[in-house]
Amino acid sequence: MAFGREALRGMGITIRRFYSTYRHGLNLQPSAAGDLPAPAEARNTKVPAGMPTRVGGLATVQYPEQKLPVPERFRYIPFLVYDEEPDHERADFDGVRCTACGICAKVCPPQCIWIVQGKGEDGKARPVSSEFYIDASICMSCGFCAEYCPFDAIKMDHDYEFSSYERHESWVFDLQELLHPVAYHAALHPSDYAREAAEERAKAEARAAKEAAKAAKAAAAAGGEAG
Amino acid sequence: MRAVDDLELIQPPPAPSRPLPPTEPVVDEPMVLNIGPHHPSTHGVLRVVAQLDGERIVSATPDIGYLHTGIEKTFEGKTYVKGTTLAPRMSYLSPIHNNLAYVLAVEKLLDVEVPERATVVRVILAELDRMASHLVYLGIHALDLGASSLMLYTFRERESILDLMEMTGGARMFPSYIRPGGLAMDLPEGFEAAVGEILDRMPSAIDEYETLLTKNPFWRERTMGVARLSAEDAIAFGATGWLLRAAGIAYDLRKAVPYCGYESYDFEVPVRHEADAYARYLVRVAEIREAVKIARQALSRLPGGAWMTSDRKVAPPPKQELADSMEAVIHHFKLWTEGFKPAPGEAYVGVEAPRGELGMYVVSDGSGRPWRVHMRSPSFTQLQALETMVKGGLLADLVTGVANLDPVLGEVDR
Repeated sequence: MAFGREALRGMGITIRRFYSTYRHGLNLQPSAAGDLPAPAEARNTKVPAGMPTRVGGLATVQYPEQKLPVPERFRYIPFLVYDEEPDHERADFDGVRCTACGICAKVCPPQCIWIVQGKGEDGKARPVSSEFYIDASICMSCGFCAEYCPFDAIKMDHDYEFSSYERHESWVFDLQELLHPVAYHAALHPSDYAREAAEERAKAEARAAKEAAKAAKAAAAAGGEAG
Repeated sequence: MRAVDDLELIQPPPAPSRPLPPTEPVVDEPMVLNIGPHHPSTHGVLRVVAQLDGERIVSATPDIGYLHTGIEKTFEGKTYVKGTTLAPRMSYLSPIHNNLAYVLAVEKLLDVEVPERATVVRVILAELDRMASHLVYLGIHALDLGASSLMLYTFRERESILDLMEMTGGARMFPSYIRPGGLAMDLPEGFEAAVGEILDRMPSAIDEYETLLTKNPFWRERTMGVARLSAEDAIAFGATGWLLRAAGIAYDLRKAVPYCGYESYDFEVPVRHEADAYARYLVRVAEIREAVKIARQALSRLPGGAWMTSDRKVAPPPKQELADSMEAVIHHFKLWTEGFKPAPGEAYVGVEAPRGELGMYVVSDGSGRPWRVHMRSPSFTQLQALETMVKGGLLADLVTGVANLDPVLGEVDR
C-alpha cells in the first residue's frame, strides 16, 4: 500500500506543476519572467533594473519574440564610447574617448584586441586610435577592458545577437562598428554613467574653483598695486 | 604472374554445399562495451570501457582526456589577476569555488588582508554555488535513472541563483567576481533582497524534491545498496566530500581547515553510514539545507565598508584618483600591464567544493605571472573509485555510479 502511495504523491506534484503551466498558457496567471515588454521594445536599449523574481506557471519565455531583461552588469562584448558633445579635451577627436593607451589590449586575457595609434600629418603620434579591432570569436566576455580603462572609453555591450554563417570577417569588429554614442552607454549602464557624470561634475567644479581662486589672487594683486 | 595469383586469392569462397554447424556460444569471454564518450549519461566527454559478463560488470575503466585544454599551462602565461578568469572555467558547475580556491592561494602568497565585507560576500556566493551545483546533481541524477520531471524543478531554482550571479558579477557561469584582495566591485543594489528571496524559496523547494524522491519506491530500488564505496576504500582512493560523509566520516574542510571564517558559522556536517547511492543523495539534500542556513547567517552579518583591500600593491587606485593624479595613472598602468609580484614561494589552499576538496597549488618565482599552477580537483581523484563502486553490479547501475560521482570533466582533464 505504502509502495503506491509515495509514488502517487510524487506524481501529484508533477500534475500540479503541469496544471499551473497549462493555466499560464491560457494567460490566467503571470509568467515567471514577469510582464515582459512587447517585442518591439524588448531591444537591449531598454533594460529594467531588477531581475525577475516571480515564480509559478511557465519558467520559459517565447524567445525571440520575448526576451528576458539582462541586469546592468551583464557583459557580452566590448564597444567604444564617443561623446556627441565632447569637452574641450576630446573635441579634436570627434569626441571618441579612447586615447589608444592600449591598456585594454594588455589586460585582455585571450588577447582579442588590436589597436593602432593614430598619427598626425606631421607623423607625430596622436592620442587617438586610427584602427581598433575586436575579434568577438576570441573574446571571453570577462569585462577586464571595461574595468581597467582609465578613460571610461570602452564598455561592455548587452547585445548578444550577432550570430552569422561564417566566423572570420563578420566577427571581427572594426572601429566604426564598435563606436556607440554615450547615450547608448547611459541607457545600458545607468548607475555606471551616473558615477561618471558625478566625477565629471566634481572635476569641473574643482577647475572652476581653481580658476576663481586664481582670478581672486590676480584681482588682489592688481588691487595691491593700485593701492 | 603474381597479380593473377592475388586476384585468385580474393575470389569469393565457394558456397557451402550444406548449412554450417551452429556456432557455440562463447561464455568464458567477457564482452567489452564502450560507454561514451558521447553518451548523455556520462556527464560530459567521459568514456567508460566496461567489461560485461552478461548483465554483470567485470570491470569499468574510465578513459579520460577528451576534454584536455592545457589550462594549467595557460596560467603560466597570464598575470595573477587574469588567472581569475581561467580558474572558474575548469568547472562549469561550481565556478565560484574554483575562483575562490585560486584567489585564496594567491592571497596566501601575497599575504594580503581582505576586508570583512569581501569575506562574507565570498561565503554567500560560495554557498549559493554549492546549492546550484547540488541542484544540477539532483536533477541530472534523477534524469539518468528515468525520473525526468525533477530536473525541470531543480533547474528552475538553479536559474534564479545564476540570475543572481549575473546581477552581481555580470555573467551567469563565470563572473570572475572574486579577485585577489577582495571583490571586483561592490555589490549591486538589491543584492540582499534577491539572496533573501532565493533563501526563502529554497526550503519549500527542497521539500518538493524530497517528496518526489526520498520515499519513492522506484528511486529507492535504483539507489539503495548500489554503488557502495566503503570508508576504507574511499580513504584509499583519496576521496573527499560527500563520498566520505556518506560512508560515516564527518570530514568537511569548512570544519577541519576553516577558510573565509567558516569556523564562526553555525552549521552541521550531515553524515550517513550506508555508503551507497541513496545515502549520498540524502547527504547532498541535507547539504543544500545547511548551505541555506550558512548563507542566511552570512547575509545577516554582512557588514558595510570596503570590498577591496587598501593595499596599493594589490588593489588599483580608485577611479576618481586617476583624473587628478599622474602618479595614480602610472601605478594603474604598471599594476595591470605587469601585474603584482608576490615574493617567491608556494601556496596551497583547499576549499570544500560541492564535490569534495578542491585545492589550488600556486608557485611564484617573484615575477608577475605564476611559475606553476596545479589543481587538486575532486572529480579527477574520485573518478578512479568508479570501478570499485560498480564492480559486480548490473550494467544499469553503472549509470547510477557515474551520476553519483557527479564528475565535472573540465576539472578531470584540465
